[in-house]
Amino acid sequence: MKIGIHSLAHPHAEGYLRLLTARPDLQVAIADPPAVAGTPQDGAPRGRAAAEHFGVDYFDDLAALLAWQPDGVIVCTENARHRAAVEEIAAAGVPILCEKPLATTLPDADAMIAAAAAAGVPLMVAYPVRFSVAFDALRSVFDGGGIGELISFCGTNNGKLPAERDWFAQPELSGGGAIMDHTVHLADLLTVLLPEASATSVYARANTLLHADRAAAETGGLVSIEFDNGVIGTIDCSWSSPSDDLVWGGLTLQLIGSTGIADLDAFDAQHLAGFATGAGPLRRGYGDDANATMLQTFLDAVADGRSPQPDGATGRRSMAIALAAYRSLSVGEPVAVE
Amino acid sequence: MRTTDVPLPKVVGLIGAGGIANAHLPAWLELGVEVVVYSTDDRAPALVAAHGGGEVAGSLDELLARAELVDVCTPTYTHPELVARAAQAGRGVICEKPLALTVEESLEMVRVCEAAGVPLYPAQVVRFFPAYRALQRSVAAGDLGTPAVLRFSRLASRPQRAWFHDPALSGGILLDQMIHDLDMARWLAGEVTQVQARAVTRDTEDGPISTAQAVLTHADGAISTVTGGWLAPTTTFRTTFGVAGTKGYLRYDSAALGPVRVDAPSAAGTGGTLLPRTLGDSPFLLELAELGSACCGGPPARVSALDGVAAVALGLAANQSLDTGGAVTVADLRTRLEPLEQH
Repeated sequence: MKIGIHSLAHPHAEGYLRLLTARPDLQVAIADPPAVAGTPQDGAPRGRAAAEHFGVDYFDDLAALLAWQPDGVIVCTENARHRAAVEEIAAAGVPILCEKPLATTLPDADAMIAAAAAAGVPLMVAYPVRFSVAFDALRSVFDGGGIGELISFCGTNNGKLPAERDWFAQPELSGGGAIMDHTVHLADLLTVLLPEASATSVYARANTLLHADRAAAETGGLVSIEFDNGVIGTIDCSWSSPSDDLVWGGLTLQLIGSTGIADLDAFDAQHLAGFATGAGPLRRGYGDDANATMLQTFLDAVADGRSPQPDGATGRRSMAIALAAYRSLSVGEPVAVE
Repeated sequence: MRTTDVPLPKVVGLIGAGGIANAHLPAWLELGVEVVVYSTDDRAPALVAAHGGGEVAGSLDELLARAELVDVCTPTYTHPELVARAAQAGRGVICEKPLALTVEESLEMVRVCEAAGVPLYPAQVVRFFPAYRALQRSVAAGDLGTPAVLRFSRLASRPQRAWFHDPALSGGILLDQMIHDLDMARWLAGEVTQVQARAVTRDTEDGPISTAQAVLTHADGAISTVTGGWLAPTTTFRTTFGVAGTKGYLRYDSAALGPVRVDAPSAAGTGGTLLPRTLGDSPFLLELAELGSACCGGPPARVSALDGVAAVALGLAANQSLDTGGAVTVADLRTRLEPLEQH
């Protein structure tokens, strides 16, 4: 099977490359066209140098990658460029795994969903946390009625200011700051837990106190959500980890139900802690790699042509919550979710 | 055992014999203070018997005549009248939170005590919980830089007494329970300019359960969120916080493994509403020692009557947000409080 990755603009592409190149059953290639003039760059290996580093084929642009006739393509461009890439790949009839968030505007998301549907190709959105064994355990408790009926939740997705790529802090490319980057992961988990419910009202507050010297968009954010089944919840999506923290951050979700409470710590609970002279505090994670499970789900979809979850419509639901949060910020009041 | 070397009243008058009185009475006794108890219901003798100390007063007048300091542990809606009675009798007052059901009544309690020349302190005990005190000291020392994003949660089994579940009598979960964390947010990140809140109440076989969430915007730019729960009777009391500032963060979860772990069949009804177990001195003892001492000429306490009024204002703004469905601008309490502070 031949898998292409379009652009290394999103640092998750490197993680996907590590996993995919470790599999002897896959041929992997990347296209990483030079950045548009005026786009800030960092020192990370890009383009041909990155291809050589990972030992994969390299193409100058998406058209050339598609001419290689991949069986599936993973889109890791800047968020605002997802639409153009997905439309081009769909037109070539190739299944797509698109980095989250699906897009930065609802018209873009709708166009991408329509393009994939018209071409009859799967469009999957890269939300790995729902594939983790930790979330699976939470979900089995919840779906088994272990905490009764959900009434509220508290989610946190905190991390460092994404420093690998400067475009994260450029709203015209990223769609926003911490809210766009982090709200959607928890919003996606809620779409799994509450498949029949829709978010109806969103209120958000944000600031730029954290990492203020480098903040071009909000670095601190709190989002309050109400669903049409009465469930309420908050998400702390702040980039609130210091840049020299031992870990990048984490994700927690507390479900408050009518008969009990269930807590998910998707990353931090599975680690060893210690200390080494000269090295300082030690942390060694031993959790599963949800990315590997997510990628396998995509590869299965490529093989059998079925559309896996989370698909474009699901990605649109979580993204719509983040977009509503931005509208709430501008008006200072709760707003309806589109 | 007296754990503090500070002036304390010789006799305290404890009004009320409900849940919180069961925390205050043993603390006063451990501080070596004599306690007279008065309650309009018939539970005072059982309270005294359960804790092996204290004396039941036959009337409020008898209590006011015998006590140097009055500790009001009654339902919220009775606070203003009882505080006024104590003040008129020339007694200093420690009053359970929330001070009252409205800002105006709370301010009036402050005025009445000032006019009588007696101290008034709100029993906002979470400021005395060791983890929360350590957080506040660390923030005040600048360890975290400027506070930016704060979150608090407080999940407990539903209170059993019916008055808690009547917002007209208790102010609901936002004013009665979450006031602790609204107060902490203000203590750590300063005055609040805007409050938004949502709440859910569900009827269950065990009675109504409630959960609520508030988002605060502070004058200096920080944002806070508070979650509260009056939940199923089996709920283990649990509180958490996470405070992120420009230099770092601190987090706490009372459910995290402590220094002692027990793996054994748990007794029925392990849930609780008052407090998670803490090691060392009870936070109620620390609270009453500090407030009692402040009433007797000791050093100033870490919480003032005006903090109590401000906390009430935050809870009421949150309730107003529930009513309107929108964000509520909080009036600058300082303009209403400073004349009192200068008084």
